[in-house]
Amino acid sequence: MNGLPMVDALPTMLPDHATDRLSVLFDVHYERLYRLARRLAPTEDEARDLVQETFLRAARSPKSVPAGRTSEEAWLVRVLVNIRRDDWRKAAVRRRHEEEARRAPRVNRDHDAAVVARATIWRALDILSPRRRAVIVLHELEGQTIAAIAALLGISAVTVRWHLSFGRRDLARILGSRLGESDEKR
Amino acid sequence: MRNVEDLLRAADPLRHEPPEKAEDRDAIRRTVLAAASGAEPNGRRFATLRASVALIVVVVVFIGVGARFWPRGTTEVSAAVRFEVRLAEAQFAPGLREARVVGSNRTIYLHQEIVATNEDIAQSDVVEGDAPSRFWIRVAFTSAGAAKMQRATAGHLGAPVAVLIDGEVVLAPTLRSPISTSAVISGDYTKAEADRIVRGMSVR
Repeated sequence: MNGLPMVDALPTMLPDHATDRLSVLFDVHYERLYRLARRLAPTEDEARDLVQETFLRAARSPKSVPAGRTSEEAWLVRVLVNIRRDDWRKAAVRRRHEEEARRAPRVNRDHDAAVVARATIWRALDILSPRRRAVIVLHELEGQTIAAIAALLGISAVTVRWHLSFGRRDLARILGSRLGESDEKR
Repeated sequence: MRNVEDLLRAADPLRHEPPEKAEDRDAIRRTVLAAASGAEPNGRRFATLRASVALIVVVVVFIGVGARFWPRGTTEVSAAVRFEVRLAEAQFAPGLREARVVGSNRTIYLHQEIVATNEDIAQSDVVEGDAPSRFWIRVAFTSAGAAKMQRATAGHLGAPVAVLIDGEVVLAPTLRSPISTSAVISGDYTKAEADRIVRGMSVR
């Protein structure tokens, strides 16, 4: 689209042509979805796979994507979170990867230690269900309000608060023990 | 003392990782649009090997869904075709064997260990490719084969996996996600060639 900023150029009525519409959908929402996916997935590669699969779902059933930027975004975010939930349920694979990561050679330099500490904290998020993790990410890292998160994920404000409360509690418990482990090993 | 929110913000990968590369984004865009244009007579077509590899990723993502729609056709017994899947590397390292990917100037380096063979195929069939006269081969692995593929490819993400037919590397996509129950070989086959390979794969 000639490099135009697609968010600003989004037409009110999206093209009927499936490929054209998908193209616009991709350009408008990719960045937003990638940022969320990266915060939901353990690695950049998995985040990209997550975004790709989300858009592929839209490609397979374009008529199920509602019109309008806000509705599109909500649809895509919900699909993305659901896909992540399916992946997350493959717990055996995930646990194996975590074990491999833990067995990685230990480093003692300050810079690398900081990287390891960040990774340790980020891995703790894997314990949360993707929906709860999404609520935490949207609220704590994106700064979205409870009402906005409820609208985006299609759940009630009470449910959002519930996820926030339990998510914070779980993270505090997990991070406390894991950071403790990390300190001992340094 | 820092609270959980502060720790999360400090650990946020988006704060520490470089911006996503444009080529990664473009590769996903091409894959998505290829999927959308597949049903359109004048849709975008991808003739390059790179695009074929991207399409492989699309089909691999369909794992689990594909099995439900798998046609229950029969395969005829024919001359054996040797099928192998091996992990590979883009750069040479001791113990690896150099191989050229058929139909391209690309060279990869094969691991000695074979991940899957004909024995690990539960079913294979011919599917339409990305052009009217081009056909691809869809392979579904046995449960044992799928487990081997999953185990091998999950630890090899970001590197190539080679599909060999009769000893020639016909495809070497870079793994973006693990392969387990099924995959598509997106070669430049005629219908007759694809049929022959599919029949040959079933010969043990």
